[in-house]
Amino acid sequence: MSLFKYRIRTLIKYRSLIWELVRRDLKLKYRRSFFGYAWSVLNPLLIMIVLTTVFSMMFKKQIENYPVYLLTGRMLHEFLKNSTTSGMKSIPKNSSLLKKVYIPKYIFTLSQITSCMVDFVLSLGALFIVMIATRAPFPPTMLLMPVVIIQIYIFCCGLGFLLAQLCVFFRDIQYIYQAVMTALFYLTPIVYPLSRLKKQKELVFFIKHLNPLYYYVVQFRAIVYQGKLPSMYYFVGGWLIAFAMLVIGVYFFQKYKDKFILYI
Amino acid sequence: MRNEVVIDVKDLTIRFNLEKERVDNLKEYAIKFIKKELMFQEFLALKGISFKVRRGEAWGFIGPNGSGKSTLLKAISGILQPYVGSVSVHGRTAPLIELGAGFDKDLTARENIYLNGLVLGYSREFIQEHFDEIVEFANIGNFLDSPVKNFSSGMKARLGFSIATVTNPDILIVDEVLEVGDLRFRSKCNARMKKMLTDGTTLLYVSHNAESVKRMCDHAIWLDHGEIVKIGDADTVCDAYVARQEELIMIRQEAARRRKKKKAKNKKYDYLIVGAGLYGAVFARIMRRAGKRCLVIDRRDHIGGNIYSEDVDGIQVHKYGAHIFHTNNEKVWKFVNRQVPFLPFVNSPVAVYKDEMYNLPFNMNTFSKMWGLKDPNEVKKKIEEQIAQLGITEPANLEEQALSLVGPDVYEKLVKGYTEKQWGRDCKDLPAFIIKRLPLRFTYDNNYFNDRYQGIPEGGYTALIERLLRNVDVKLETDYRDYIKENPDMFKRVVYTGMIDEYFDYRFGHLEYRSLRFETERIETENYQGNAVVNYTEREIPYTRIIEHKHFEPENVRKNPLPFTIISREYPAAWEPGMEPYYPVNDEKNNALYEKYRELADQEEGVIFGGRLGAYKYYDMDKVIAAAIEAAEEELDRKE
Repeated sequence: MSLFKYRIRTLIKYRSLIWELVRRDLKLKYRRSFFGYAWSVLNPLLIMIVLTTVFSMMFKKQIENYPVYLLTGRMLHEFLKNSTTSGMKSIPKNSSLLKKVYIPKYIFTLSQITSCMVDFVLSLGALFIVMIATRAPFPPTMLLMPVVIIQIYIFCCGLGFLLAQLCVFFRDIQYIYQAVMTALFYLTPIVYPLSRLKKQKELVFFIKHLNPLYYYVVQFRAIVYQGKLPSMYYFVGGWLIAFAMLVIGVYFFQKYKDKFILYI
Repeated sequence: MRNEVVIDVKDLTIRFNLEKERVDNLKEYAIKFIKKELMFQEFLALKGISFKVRRGEAWGFIGPNGSGKSTLLKAISGILQPYVGSVSVHGRTAPLIELGAGFDKDLTARENIYLNGLVLGYSREFIQEHFDEIVEFANIGNFLDSPVKNFSSGMKARLGFSIATVTNPDILIVDEVLEVGDLRFRSKCNARMKKMLTDGTTLLYVSHNAESVKRMCDHAIWLDHGEIVKIGDADTVCDAYVARQEELIMIRQEAARRRKKKKAKNKKYDYLIVGAGLYGAVFARIMRRAGKRCLVIDRRDHIGGNIYSEDVDGIQVHKYGAHIFHTNNEKVWKFVNRQVPFLPFVNSPVAVYKDEMYNLPFNMNTFSKMWGLKDPNEVKKKIEEQIAQLGITEPANLEEQALSLVGPDVYEKLVKGYTEKQWGRDCKDLPAFIIKRLPLRFTYDNNYFNDRYQGIPEGGYTALIERLLRNVDVKLETDYRDYIKENPDMFKRVVYTGMIDEYFDYRFGHLEYRSLRFETERIETENYQGNAVVNYTEREIPYTRIIEHKHFEPENVRKNPLPFTIISREYPAAWEPGMEPYYPVNDEKNNALYEKYRELADQEEGVIFGGRLGAYKYYDMDKVIAAAIEAAEEELDRKE
């Protein structure tokens, strides 16, 4: 237990650093761009407009308020993709520093994912704008949003650690992962309703139970789009998957972290 | 507690996988995994290092590049994990981060101070408190809000040092970062480090500059190939290190010297060619093309031997007498033309007898002038009649021989005096065999030679020799005897074109030669005699002929008329040992003597005798070339 305590203590000790790194990422992301932070909102809006124009014709009948449906799914996917991708590259990116100073290596992975999370939270503004524009109701269940965000954040941390560790040894992972993320985008009912897939039983089963992203999308849509509490299955499942991923990620990261220095 | 051990390194070994075969993509990994080649070549950067550092001590680490200094510091900072052994550190370590490594280049100096401070483990409040102090010491003034990427390396070093040393860390690690920055800043840094040392900070200092280690540290470790060579008092270790470095430099220099010497020794020639004349030059040329190394030496201060020509104000002067290249040998003609272009020249000498001028060789021009006859048949009849009247059947001497060949008129005017001058004796006292035939032409053809090709190399014979000796080493004013005495191992085989009797120390006596003497004169007239060669056939005129050098190049005379001319009067000279030998005297006595020398020569291992003097033979230039080509080709076919 003392090891765990030690870990927590270092985490506390380096919390300012994590925060400073998060701030750096956010600052540098939009530095020198005219709209600055506004891009966190504008970017998902623009993509939403494109996707809505393309897909709303197809699914108009099955889905009411398509822009909100689309945005709730896509923003979560975007967060998962961005945070894990940048987490994956965090170790090689900071190699020069890691070679010179002793800093717990996970700090960099964690700060990358965290800054993506902050960016995601900021971009929620886009969702609110769309909801206002489409005159969608703001149900009280929306107050549960942080619960879902924390779940997916933990999941992303776990996945990010796993990928970061893999990426040190096999740089190829970066390219494979891009394709995996695109596949995940289409294997999750983001642009289409799940009801469209009724005939493909196996696929529906896969999406409903084995696609981790679906657990969070379902919960998020329930509280924001449908204005109801998420089902117990997905709520409990969401937490379990998040922590399982974190344990796996931390386990592999810790196991190989001392070898990183030899490969970066 | 001053005596407290703050760093305890025990039997530390650090292992690296050599970068050589870094597997960092899946395909390679899969292939290697299947082939079971997933074995890394390991490399021990540190091997069983042990030492203890007490609080407040200053330790210097010296050693050549790649000796493990930085690796050791990384192990102490916790960046590298021990493969074997342990490192225990008590207290907060502050590394002085290498130039800009700790900075985000896109962030401003202000932002980087926070980021870097946090990286070093300071709290945000602490940084805020000491912010001004950091900025002041770094002396970056107006650039506080500029991105660090615009900073000079000196500025980055200052900022880095300033952040790292704003507090007194328990252990300060300095890894060769202070080599940059100006002198003023370096002394500022040194002063601050000294102060920190007195305040109880422990310093670990890496450098390959032994002097700065001596200045900063009280203890030192000398590392080499991951092992401690010497550990202890800084002065002792540093002095030993410096001494060893100097020793190594000496050893390296000595080795380099020895290599150089050895190389020079190995620079052997395949052939030592004695004599830079036509034979030697042709031989060298062919060998050079075949990839053999040749050294040509010559006693004279110029190349070319007797065909040497000297440019005197635009006129090629044939220093050792007239040379006109003529040949029937297609191969030789092509060979020389590959070297240099040849200018056309037809040798048509003129003979002067008293006030009369006759064309040579004896042809219809000569006879018609002598007798006023036009019909070749009449001329033929006249000469035959003259010869028949003499009734000589068995010529007893040269005079009778010549008379029986050309008759008295031609003999008296054109043969007698000239031959007597050449041999320095009366024709009656000369043996008949000297002249075997005196060709008579019953055509109006003044071309002296009957050969198919005739000409003079453009730029003179020296240009031809120069071209032949291109990329061949030449040593002039070098005597063969002296050279082999000093460099007995420099060559494998010898080509000797000097006098064969001299080579064998005149063991059987001297071979005889005819010699010549020239009186060369510059005359301020455009055209002295109108022909390249004019023979003087009277005995009373001491010279045998006058050469007017410019007429060997009629094309140049036409194109570029000069207001002066250069002539050489050629005098026959009786040869004595020590004089310049010209023509071998191929009489019975000398030929027999030569045969004796030749037998010796045949037994001489690794020496080829060739050329006019080496073969004791009157050679035309084309024959010399043909002989040299033949000898060289034979030599190339020779099995070693």
